[in-house]
Amino acid sequence: MSKFTDPITGVDAVGDPTAPELGGGAPEFGAQRHDVQAPDRDDAAVNKTGTTTVGITTADGVVVATDRRASLGGRFVSNKSVQKVEQIHPTAVMTLVGSVGGAQSFIRSLRAEADLYEVRHGDPMSIHALSTLAGNFARGGPWFAINPIIAGTDENGSHVYSVDPAGGVMADDYTVTGSGMQLAYGTIEGEYDPGMSLDAARDLAVRAVAAASERDTGSGNGVVVATVTDEGVEIEDFDETDAALTA
Amino acid sequence: MQDNQQAYDRGMTIFSPDGRLYQVEYAREAIKRGTASVGVRTDDGVVLVADRQVRSPLLEADSIEKLHRVDDHVAVASAGHVADARQLVEFARTQAQRHRLRYDEPIDVETLAKEVTDYIQRYTQSGGVRPFGVALVIAGIDPDGTPRLFETDPSGTPYEWTATAVGGDRQTLMGYLEDHYRDDLDLDGGIGLALGALAETHDDDGLDADSLEVTTVDVESGRVRSLDAEEIAPHLAELNLEDDNE
Repeated sequence: MSKFTDPITGVDAVGDPTAPELGGGAPEFGAQRHDVQAPDRDDAAVNKTGTTTVGITTADGVVVATDRRASLGGRFVSNKSVQKVEQIHPTAVMTLVGSVGGAQSFIRSLRAEADLYEVRHGDPMSIHALSTLAGNFARGGPWFAINPIIAGTDENGSHVYSVDPAGGVMADDYTVTGSGMQLAYGTIEGEYDPGMSLDAARDLAVRAVAAASERDTGSGNGVVVATVTDEGVEIEDFDETDAALTA
Repeated sequence: MQDNQQAYDRGMTIFSPDGRLYQVEYAREAIKRGTASVGVRTDDGVVLVADRQVRSPLLEADSIEKLHRVDDHVAVASAGHVADARQLVEFARTQAQRHRLRYDEPIDVETLAKEVTDYIQRYTQSGGVRPFGVALVIAGIDPDGTPRLFETDPSGTPYEWTATAVGGDRQTLMGYLEDHYRDDLDLDGGIGLALGALAETHDDDGLDADSLEVTTVDVESGRVRSLDAEEIAPHLAELNLEDDNE
């Protein structure tokens, strides 16, 4: 709490930099940040994405590929057509990784924040600012167990950031999160090339998700591909990973 | 004062029957009682100059602060109640740092000015509080390198200017700025314009470097820089604005 109080509402006029302005259970966000993790929640009933989500940057834009499976405890497939990548900004997307409810709420809040920022400032947020905000929310906010990728383009080029549940934010040329990450990284590691085309990056991302879907019980059921360029965001989904390949 | 005004000019800020907010208007009067501050925007950066009234030779001139650094790239000049100004400057500093914490980027000057004016506005619509008796001139460089200059007033309205003045003698200062502002001024030209305007309000004696504050935010460095008296004096000498009595 800062020393500045709103004379009408009596609440802090500065606002917590780590708290969402709207949504995400903002009203209950308070002094004890871990209270909101609801220790009595039945974890076995929480839908998790398990998941393999991949983001790769190129000079022309960013490509993100995700699988489509939701599971309970990684042992039961609770949904076979989840869209795990959503647009949150005119030129950025975020992947759902971890708790489905946590990630969906997180996406709604980040989308509201990005919209508010854009109308207030006249320009969209930079991807760095968006990722910093996401890291603050993951660290201090009322969400739990999420590990998304934020991918997008801005005037500084193409970016992918991974955000971990403790609020760690790391930029990279390509990144993978979710239970299938080791399989996906294995596919990308030898083949990524900083000069690769957007189409080549797309095929690599899809093959990485396909490899993870073969062996990771938390990943599977096709692929969703998001392509982000300065023109905007395009999201396509495929029942079979092969159908998403261009080459 | 007429009797029928009495109910509308005490305590709370409420409309009079003819639609005026007397408390806000009185706050503007309080600003006129203060010494002036001038802001000038040039392509090379923004200049703030403040006139400080040293009312006794025993007073430490440096303890009269009218120019304040808010962040690396933003400075504020004030006119009116110094104590009220300090509260708003602290609010602005906190908002600037909050923006860095939240987004890991410096705040742009327009957003900061609007955060401050939104805060000021709340004090015109609440019971048991009085409006801020101060006008601020907010000068800074946006993260994209654009120089910006804003004014706040007690109603909580933000204005953007190429050059402006707040405080006593505002009419004279604005007249001078309107007559002499050119859009090809460089930073030194901006300092000269602001000093020239202030000199207009000192009819007989000239300006004394020790009773002036000059701060710049230049495009090249993007940072706030305060000039000391030794750096101000050459500007006065060049413009022939020095105090003749010294």
